[in-house]
Amino acid sequence: MEEIKTFSNKPIPDDIMKTAEKVLGEDKVLFAVVGDLNLDGKYDSSAFIVTKTQAIAIDSKHEGGYKQFAFKDIEKVIVKRMYGNAIIRIKTAEKTETVLRFTYVNADIADAAAIFINNIIDGLDFDEQLLIVKSTYDKQRSFCPKCGRKLASPDAECYNCKGKGKVISKLMKYLLPEKGKLILCIILSIVVTGLSLVPPKITQVMVDDIIPNKDSSGLIKIILFLLGVYVVQYLVSFIRTYFLRIAGDKIIIDLKKDIYAKAQYLPLSYYDKTSTGSVINRVNSDSVILQNFIMRISQEGITQGFLLVGIAVIMLIMNWKLTLLSLLPVPLVVLGGRMFGKKIGPRYRRLWIRSSHISTLLADTIPGVRVIKSFTNEDSIIGKFKAYCDDWFKEDKKASVIASVFPNVMTFLITCGSVIIWLVGGKWIIDPNNNEISIGLLVSFISYTSMFYAPVSFFANISDSYQNALASAEKIFDIIDAEPEHDFAKGSELERMDGKIEFKNVNFAFDRSKKVVDNVSFTINPGDIVGIVGTTGSGKSTLINLLMRFYDDYEGEILIDDVNIKDIDMKYYRNQIGYVQQEPLMFKDTVFNNIAYGTPNAHVEQVIYAADVANAHGFISRLPDSYDTYLGERGIGLSGGEKQRLSIARAVMKNPSILIFDEATAAVDSETEELIQQAIERLIRGRTTLMIAHRLSTLRKANRILVVDKGRIIENGSHDELMALKGKYYKLIQIQSMSQKIREQKESENFE
Amino acid sequence: MLKYIEGPEVKLTVNDKIFIDAEFYGSDEKLCGLEPHRLFPISGLNKYISLLDSEGNEVAIIRNIDNLLPESKAALQSALDEYYMIPKITKFIKRYEKFSIWMWTVETDRGVYTFEVRNSLTAIKTLYDGRILIKDGSDNRYEIPDLYKLDKRSIKMMLPDI
Repeated sequence: MEEIKTFSNKPIPDDIMKTAEKVLGEDKVLFAVVGDLNLDGKYDSSAFIVTKTQAIAIDSKHEGGYKQFAFKDIEKVIVKRMYGNAIIRIKTAEKTETVLRFTYVNADIADAAAIFINNIIDGLDFDEQLLIVKSTYDKQRSFCPKCGRKLASPDAECYNCKGKGKVISKLMKYLLPEKGKLILCIILSIVVTGLSLVPPKITQVMVDDIIPNKDSSGLIKIILFLLGVYVVQYLVSFIRTYFLRIAGDKIIIDLKKDIYAKAQYLPLSYYDKTSTGSVINRVNSDSVILQNFIMRISQEGITQGFLLVGIAVIMLIMNWKLTLLSLLPVPLVVLGGRMFGKKIGPRYRRLWIRSSHISTLLADTIPGVRVIKSFTNEDSIIGKFKAYCDDWFKEDKKASVIASVFPNVMTFLITCGSVIIWLVGGKWIIDPNNNEISIGLLVSFISYTSMFYAPVSFFANISDSYQNALASAEKIFDIIDAEPEHDFAKGSELERMDGKIEFKNVNFAFDRSKKVVDNVSFTINPGDIVGIVGTTGSGKSTLINLLMRFYDDYEGEILIDDVNIKDIDMKYYRNQIGYVQQEPLMFKDTVFNNIAYGTPNAHVEQVIYAADVANAHGFISRLPDSYDTYLGERGIGLSGGEKQRLSIARAVMKNPSILIFDEATAAVDSETEELIQQAIERLIRGRTTLMIAHRLSTLRKANRILVVDKGRIIENGSHDELMALKGKYYKLIQIQSMSQKIREQKESENFE
Repeated sequence: MLKYIEGPEVKLTVNDKIFIDAEFYGSDEKLCGLEPHRLFPISGLNKYISLLDSEGNEVAIIRNIDNLLPESKAALQSALDEYYMIPKITKFIKRYEKFSIWMWTVETDRGVYTFEVRNSLTAIKTLYDGRILIKDGSDNRYEIPDLYKLDKRSIKMMLPDI
């Protein structure tokens, strides 16, 4: 027999292993859930160890340190998720007791362990069940060896380690395409900088030679030369500004395009946790802050560097002693700059968080203005907005104190450098025995000193914009570097999709606090029309979300035509599914383009045909602009039923193998429902169809019904079978027919 | 129909750690194996406790724990303490970042623990009363009741995130 390898979420601590060996003897450990809490809820080591015939729970709080259960004595193993922690409870004939406590970190494998034991007790195949446990462990143990982050699949490349680097190196991607223009700008900057070094030298010549010698012709020549220098300097400056702006705009556009494109490929789970306002803030504001920083670094940084070196060389040539004196404040300026960066960095981050609160509120409330008005909630929302703005302002004031004090202290230190030169240089000139420098040289040197401190000040204060940009860059790269939806099988398409759907032991939770899909298994054959019913929040739509691959992080397998959906090209796969939602989203575009949304280059007659099938052609042709009617944001201008029929037309255009209707008629009146039903019935012929419905009357064409309750399939069969079962479906039908009768009775009374 | 329990009319006893039994004085009504859930686990710890039966259906709501008889209050409190695990962070030991994921090692009222914070912008919330709530990468919760009561180093570590 093949040696079975023990699975464990982390190494089993020695003391626990010793206890297990002592209790189990020769019984081989199959897998272990190593917990992180004791039964009193303190952080501690514990474990739930499973063998072929028994399970033991090891915890210091158990009497004797462990509890042992033979499978034959267990009625059920239950994983109970609480708040921030969970427990494994074992039900035997005598009692139900809590045997292990752990944080949500271990929740998935604890679930797998419970399902394993329950299924073995129910007599399911041992090897198959162990395989399911193994896949859960594999997923848990799929960590990148380099960074330790969880991988999407055991063999997947770590997205986080791929192409990562420091912010600056990441930004190079945006700088490189503009390198031609940027290099030209740098050359032009050097020219401008070089030319700016000329005037102080001319001052020296004028003070020392031309003015004392009253040389008029020399004066004209030198003034003309100075004028020429200025003309060239500003002409070059103009060309540089133009190219710099073009390059800067291109960088910001590329950055925005990348953020937007990436945002489209992020999984839904990202949007579950990140507000749309914050994403919009990143595209609009943060990209501008980052662009400013890129330009500052790539342009000013280089030119200021040249200026610094150039002036230092000139000053050293003029007088090395004065140069050294002027450098005295430099260490203080540099140290101050570093200190400033440390102080201001966290402040900018806090400021960003507050600015994100404001944009999130905007993104939330402006589109919801109808609701706000209808609940006359304007004052409250204005109050909230004011509070957010005030909070931002309060933080901004704190940041402003630091941002104002530090640069001025720096400037003061720099000025001290000039004062030292005036003092020492002035003394040398007054002293008749000292011929160290001339008056012209001193004046010229003072000019160079003040010029010298401009780049010093620039580099001292760069940390301000660096910290500000860093806060923005962090947010931008949070999107750009975020793990996108995984298309594990790009290019792998099925020859034909018949539409067989199979869920195998599927478990899913949006977060670990509550399971939304609980060990779901079912098979739908090609061409089946399947109704999914259940109360609100039972998990119906989540099953569809998983089938659509909106969420990939589930346990178990979903197969289409016996192929795991993760092994099919995602774009191709989603294209095979027509999805009609309860509240279809229309875009700000024409009716024609809204129908042809997923079908580029659609023929006009194709669109008209689709509209006709969807019972939409009639009302569209009655619109003044017909198919050219321009819809407002989110389809404003159409009724709910009309939007729904356009959305069905969209599905017709795709000619899909699988159709999904998610409460497609829930929000419309009976007459419109009839029109939509007709459209649906025309569309579903020969296609595997899943219909989620509250109104059970809409499932009249379904040949199978799945009843979902608390994330589980509790009933599965035809209408007649489920009615005979007299279970949940039967009850739902009873309730609905009763309320239907009452409604009809009331309607007839009113009519009479 | 909502059924509110004011306090003295019920006797609560712990059934099995997170479960309680409720016995109503002056009537024969006794409900067993109820699971208490806070309706406001963040904003109101002691008010509006929903009691759920084994099917997850609510049977009653306790308006305020403080109005219960002392033994009942202690029983309910013990069941809630078992159910809700929000360790209170008392000190930051280590915090480091790698590829946008922060690893925090902290000292809590339940011991020392290391966890990951995936996105500090969404994982950390400052409440109106100054409490800071943290949700780790596995959806476990932690709380800092008053940041400014922590040591200076811990405050400095936390400040940029709030």
